Amino acid sequence: MRKGYFVIVLFICLATGGFTFIYKNKEATTAIHFKNLVGNKELKLFDETYTNNFGEPFVINKFRYYISHISIVDGSDKEINLSNNYYLVNEDDSLSKMIQLPAAGIKSISFLIGVDSAKNISGVQTGSLDPMNGMFWTWNSGYVFAKLEGQSDSSHAPAHSFTWDVGGFRARENALRRIKLNVPAGRSSADNVIVVQADILKWFSGAHPLKISQSPVCHQPGVLAMQIADNYSAMFSIAP
Amino acid sequence: MRIMTIIFISLFCFAGIAWINAGNKPSPIKFIVPPGWPQPLYNFKSNPLTKEGFELGRKLFYDEKLSKDSTISCASCHQQFGGFATYDHNLSHGYNNTLTTRNAPSLQNLAWQKEFMWDGGIVHLDLQPMAPLTAINEMGETLENVIKKLNRDTAYKRMFKAAFGAPLINTQKMNMAISQFVLMLVSSNSKYDKVMRGAAAFILPEKLGYDIFKKKCSSCHTEPLFSDFSYRNTGLKLDNTLNDYGRMKITHDKKDSLKFKVPSLRNVAITAPYGHDGRFFSLQNVYEHYRNKMVVMDNTDSLLLHKIPLSNYETGQLTAFLHTLTDTSFLKNPAFAPPGYDITPVFIHYH
Repeated sequence: MRKGYFVIVLFICLATGGFTFIYKNKEATTAIHFKNLVGNKELKLFDETYTNNFGEPFVINKFRYYISHISIVDGSDKEINLSNNYYLVNEDDSLSKMIQLPAAGIKSISFLIGVDSAKNISGVQTGSLDPMNGMFWTWNSGYVFAKLEGQSDSSHAPAHSFTWDVGGFRARENALRRIKLNVPAGRSSADNVIVVQADILKWFSGAHPLKISQSPVCHQPGVLAMQIADNYSAMFSIAP
Repeated sequence: MRIMTIIFISLFCFAGIAWINAGNKPSPIKFIVPPGWPQPLYNFKSNPLTKEGFELGRKLFYDEKLSKDSTISCASCHQQFGGFATYDHNLSHGYNNTLTTRNAPSLQNLAWQKEFMWDGGIVHLDLQPMAPLTAINEMGETLENVIKKLNRDTAYKRMFKAAFGAPLINTQKMNMAISQFVLMLVSSNSKYDKVMRGAAAFILPEKLGYDIFKKKCSSCHTEPLFSDFSYRNTGLKLDNTLNDYGRMKITHDKKDSLKFKVPSLRNVAITAPYGHDGRFFSLQNVYEHYRNKMVVMDNTDSLLLHKIPLSNYETGQLTAFLHTLTDTSFLKNPAFAPPGYDITPVFIHYH
């Protein structure tokens, strides 16, 4: 009798654990796939020379940006906030370009490009926010929100460098930008991948025309960083 | 019956593991706020001080391996016998025969400071170690390499586990350990402190010096920390080789041009040279600046518009008073010396 009792308890424990596991896996999810483009060409690091709207040639070595405070409206018009997740999208790391969201039939998605001020000032963070990822200014505390680096013959900086590191969380130098994207209607509700395209050409033209020949380097918060942020906040779109 | 035995044995094992782990819990250190001092600004809840964390921080602080070519540690420019500033150097020396643009500040009473560096660019103590570690004219290493080196070292693996409960070594844990060590660098036992506690008495020149100090210096060098940690323009002319505009570099505001953080005067007698770029080699140079040489600019501090009148007599008395801020129990505390030493050996400084 005793033995039987224990076996039952053990079975219930295992079964509950198992069901929870299965249930979790069956939760509705949608994958956001970030696809970095230059115009309509898919971005290739190092090997390809692109041209911006001003006819300036450039090669890209690094392209990274932080996505945080994601908020989504799902198929049943429920708003889901994922304020504790910080993603570093890194062109050099294909895994980093895929984000899983716990919702289905997403109607719209909004997110911050960058890292909120609280995380900039409260000590050393881990994971995607680990300063080891090369997205942190050590001498003037703060995250680099987005980074576009390479070479350009139009750059007068040493080694023809073209390095736009954008950040700044303080009031007058705030480079945080919120993006809101509506998912085009008429998508199949079974389609659980959303491709978010990021067009690098928008970094140069948009609210502010920014030439590599005039400002090849941005390494600190300030006016230039905010202008680049204004521009790149228009770089995202959802592929049809 | 067999199932019962298995369950019993597993329970016993779990209990055993829990008990062993409990025995390995790091031992907490109580941070003591000296009587009459304000509450510290550092959030100890986010990084509770432990003996193991402190010892790990101490090892990291004195480890040259953290630099690119294993020649420079934090302690190279923050020497205990020099009040954790650099003895005798105006500018700090870095990796591969480089010079920095600043005079290493003394590390003491850091728990009461909100921002770090002469320009206050670093907004949290835990963020501070990354600047010297990665600056090309300081330790010249990448964070990635530092973490790799630590991971290859079994002693570190053991110490990280002892301090934080898991052998995980990352930037966060490394910096938290360094913070634990430097937070304990509290200097509060100088002759001045003893006089304030009623355990000693000033001799006449010290007492006269204290009176002058209270009249002419203490609005910025506020007791008991001997700084209000504000940024002020004290009429220091720009050096055109350093082009260091101080606070303006951080705020990009013209009003902050050539403003630097008010340094604490604790242990001032042994932390020469003085100033953000070490341009003053003695206290006498500093007095000369304030009473004569300083350049009053548009944004020079309002308290200094007429400079600070100081007679020769007064400078002597001030010097007598400032020497009472030397805290030998801090400068010779064996707990702050390199692991395995009773006091900082002089050979710790190579360059």
